[in-house]
Amino acid sequence: MLLSDDEHWVLSYYRTSEINGSLFFGRLARTLRPSPIQHDLTKHFADEAQHAWYWTDCLQRLGTRPMKLADAYQDQYLEAAGLPVNLMEIMAITLVFERRVINQYAKHLAVPDLRVEVKETIDRIMQDERWHVQWVRDALAGMEEKFGKENIAATLRRYKEADREVYAQTLAEHESRLGFLLDSAPRPEETD
Amino acid sequence: MAVPTTDEIVRRIADLLGVSEAQVKPDVALSELVWDSYRLVEMAIELQDDYDVIFSQSDLSAVTTVADLVALVTTRAAP
Repeated sequence: MLLSDDEHWVLSYYRTSEINGSLFFGRLARTLRPSPIQHDLTKHFADEAQHAWYWTDCLQRLGTRPMKLADAYQDQYLEAAGLPVNLMEIMAITLVFERRVINQYAKHLAVPDLRVEVKETIDRIMQDERWHVQWVRDALAGMEEKFGKENIAATLRRYKEADREVYAQTLAEHESRLGFLLDSAPRPEETD
Repeated sequence: MAVPTTDEIVRRIADLLGVSEAQVKPDVALSELVWDSYRLVEMAIELQDDYDVIFSQSDLSAVTTVADLVALVTTRAAP
């Protein structure tokens, strides 16, 4: 069965978002000095690049090619939340974003009669995503002394608010394309 | 850590942005030196690392010129 235009667009959107994530983390990995954070961030960068490849390969196995999309989720995200300017803010926005990614992929996994290629791809990516949330959460915990526990909590609240705003905006903008995800899939509880 | 001098900070900014020190004049807008907002973030992170200071988003959004950035580093680095 051929991929619908909506599915084609969504999978391409995932691919573009993974590429943008990879480029962002790659630049940061290049900027940071040697440290445990630099180590994990470099792995994170490599994972995101690998995820972009998984989606590219998935689309090919489904008999098509990625659509060329200009914008990704991150662009709207940074516009709403503002650019993070220190390492704590970067970790905070990353944690909020990674939770959103996990929730989105979980929603996609719940689509009835999901294509095996898509399920395999999401399953592979989800293994990395859980580690992403874990290492970023640990990194933030390690920053409490320097940045202040309250300040970190306030930053997370600010980015969560921006995340909710951007997600709602994305759903509204692309309602018709995302309909097959929203209509048929039960919405799993968002993790925190 | 000693508070860095203006000359030191200017040298570092020039180095980070790959421009000559002569271009990093106090009244020059940072937007004339950095066209890419991600590059600005990278520079902010490196300056924080170099001088062991912390900038917040609101700190940086108030920075327009080289002089503003130098003042921010100096203020934050002061004991």
